[in-house]
Amino acid sequence: MKRIIIMTMILSLFAVTGTQAQKNGKQMDAFEVQVDGLGCPFCAYGLEKKFKEFKGIKKVAINIETGDFSFLYPTEKALTMDAVVEQVKKAGYTPNIAKITRADGTVENSEADAVTQITGETILSEAAITVAGKCGMCEARILKATSGIVGITEAAWNKDSQLLDVRFDEQQTSIDAIQKVVAEAGHDTNAYKTSEAGYADLPGCCKYVRIEQ
Amino acid sequence: MKNIFFWVLVCFAFAKAYPQGPPITSDKPIMLGGNSFTTKTLTEIRNTERGTAVYIPLMLHYLPTSNSLVAVHLPYISYDFDDTSGSGMADIKILGKYQFYRKDGTGKTFRVVAKTLQTLPTGEEIDVADFSTGNYSGYYGIVSGYETLKYGLSSEIGYNWMPDGTLDEFRVKAGVGLPLLKPQYPNKQLNLYFEYTSVWLHERDWYQLFYSQGVQYALKNITFDLAVQLPLVQDNIPENRTYNYSVFLGTRYTF
Repeated sequence: MKRIIIMTMILSLFAVTGTQAQKNGKQMDAFEVQVDGLGCPFCAYGLEKKFKEFKGIKKVAINIETGDFSFLYPTEKALTMDAVVEQVKKAGYTPNIAKITRADGTVENSEADAVTQITGETILSEAAITVAGKCGMCEARILKATSGIVGITEAAWNKDSQLLDVRFDEQQTSIDAIQKVVAEAGHDTNAYKTSEAGYADLPGCCKYVRIEQ
Repeated sequence: MKNIFFWVLVCFAFAKAYPQGPPITSDKPIMLGGNSFTTKTLTEIRNTERGTAVYIPLMLHYLPTSNSLVAVHLPYISYDFDDTSGSGMADIKILGKYQFYRKDGTGKTFRVVAKTLQTLPTGEEIDVADFSTGNYSGYYGIVSGYETLKYGLSSEIGYNWMPDGTLDEFRVKAGVGLPLLKPQYPNKQLNLYFEYTSVWLHERDWYQLFYSQGVQYALKNITFDLAVQLPLVQDNIPENRTYNYSVFLGTRYTF
């Protein structure tokens, strides 16, 4: 009898663990959206509340300083980029750059402000440009500025190195043009300095050490 | 009065630049997502030379879309004036708002809404503006707000039309909100509010300017408000009707 009870308990334990593993093993897509208009934590609450309409949403995270909004969603539900962008609008905010990393590793990017035409003959160049900044809000501003440049296919800015890594088509833009746009958005580069008025307009948390030229 | 200005300056000087929640006595143009409800109450204890009135509204707000709002305010009033006293239902109000302009940036937003507040004559005729007049009135105004991660500004301008009474009124409101806690989500905030209300009852030629100092604590989707409103200017107000102070106590819950 004892053995039967012990075996039953062991089997039950494995059964529970198995179910849990199945649950944990549920494939999830990762969504990242940069959202404008989150002027306060209540705004972030409004955004999250609207996305809770997507049943099964997990790990919702919102950085109100940068507007970075991310969450996981079951792959089987095949949530589309359009649906995500539309839901942000329904919440009353403005979606910017959006990215979906599917469970199988496929990455989908929303249309940037500028559409860069890439053909098989396009040769992409890479560059690391010094761009001054200080925080996550700076990062969002810099990437938003680069998303409006025709010719850039990828951009990433690192706060610690103060470098903006870009992949771009030299036929459509140049390092000089990129630096100019970023400086106009409020961030000094080696070639261009932001105007005093532009620097003064930055929030307190973004007041970086200026690049002397 | 000097003391008030001193403390206002001190609060401004020490307040840090973080984001904030909705204003207390002013209105706001930001709406928290379509298809959602908010229940609110903002009890006002108003003391004038005539006596004291306690006004307790239960407000139910519904947002059919992200840029429109309809609400009903069901108020209870208890009053003890020189000439009368009692309690019961005050004037029921129906609120409508429509956001017609929005400009968003990273960590900031500017919005403008058109607003109407229809007051139904369900209360006693005790001539207490905003609370219980027993007369129909319609308020039409524009509310705007600029919220950044540094501060929040709100303003309102409007006109209250009362066809069968003498409480036709020009109203202007302005407010500044300053948060005291670091921005964090899930929401946890402690905010200071500095709000002004200017009221001109042109048929009676009464003019009043009020200053309201408020503090707000917000945790997730629940907010607690406390504010004290004092008169700065009172022109042509009969002696027995002059305003002494109001205390506001409120909570709001969004779901």
